Amino acid sequence: MLNTNQFREGAKAALPIVLGYLPVGMAFGVLARQAGLTPLEAGSMSLLVYAGASQFLAIEMISKSISWFPIVIATFFINLRHLLMSSTLSLHFKGHRLRTLSLLSVQLTDESFAVAMSNTSKISNRPSYLFGLQMTSQIAWIAGSVGGALFGKLIDHKDYGIPFALSSLFICLLVIQIKKIHHLWVMIIAGISSIVFKWVLPGNWYILLTGILASGIGIAIEMAERDKK
Amino acid sequence: MRESILILILGMGLVTFLPRFLPMAFLTRWVIPERLKMGLGYIPIAILSAIVFPVLFFNEGGNVEIQPHYLLSAIPVFIFSWRVKSLWASVILGMLVYWGLGFFL
Repeated sequence: MLNTNQFREGAKAALPIVLGYLPVGMAFGVLARQAGLTPLEAGSMSLLVYAGASQFLAIEMISKSISWFPIVIATFFINLRHLLMSSTLSLHFKGHRLRTLSLLSVQLTDESFAVAMSNTSKISNRPSYLFGLQMTSQIAWIAGSVGGALFGKLIDHKDYGIPFALSSLFICLLVIQIKKIHHLWVMIIAGISSIVFKWVLPGNWYILLTGILASGIGIAIEMAERDKK
Repeated sequence: MRESILILILGMGLVTFLPRFLPMAFLTRWVIPERLKMGLGYIPIAILSAIVFPVLFFNEGGNVEIQPHYLLSAIPVFIFSWRVKSLWASVILGMLVYWGLGFFL
């Protein structure tokens, strides 16, 4: 059953995401319209796919008249990184019903995951909290997309510092994660390796690979520390 | 809605849903080894680093090129977030700094 207090609490935690999703969603809507999609089609994509990077890529491919199949394949690879986030979240929802888990996982994004992980005591066995957080975020994304497709540029998404809104959110969320000295090491290693991976590999494999490499190094550092004691 | 777009959206939706859902569906039902749990604890830092850092050093075309506008905006946000752990304040500060720098760069 939905716990409305937790839901409301989660919805409130999503507000910084809303600030970023509304204008970026709007930019998506504008581009979708330019590529020939109707507001209904743009909104449906934001409702049923809900993955920013792949939606932008899809629009670019549609405007080049590329057929649906290569777009779906590209989407699959872009969004594979969610495997790691879904695995991490699973630790906090042991034994919950599959219906609940499917609702939670269908709305999983980089942003909602990062906000959820900034305070894990809020999400552990509190699906309504995560649901409120994710639902609010997705509503902002859909509203932005449909608004952009219907009304065009209400605001210039390259102005007012909007391009840096989500980056600032991610920087603060990253800093919140640094609690011990070896977290700092993992951050440095992950930062360098993500740049190297992005440099040598196509697409966005670098996120998935950095996730695996840096968490492996995290384990190694932690085990070495344990042995010292 | 055109059929071709509907097929596209359903296909994209399905391939996006599976990696979001399958780990959660299975790992919530399995016993997770201690070592794996430890590794998953580093996923947020690893992924956030991979999202934050490359943006500062790659242009929109995906080539290596230092992005002074992003870099100069990121430094104050980093320092500020360290002192004040507030998402709201960091987002507002980041936007203001980026916007302000736009008049000079």
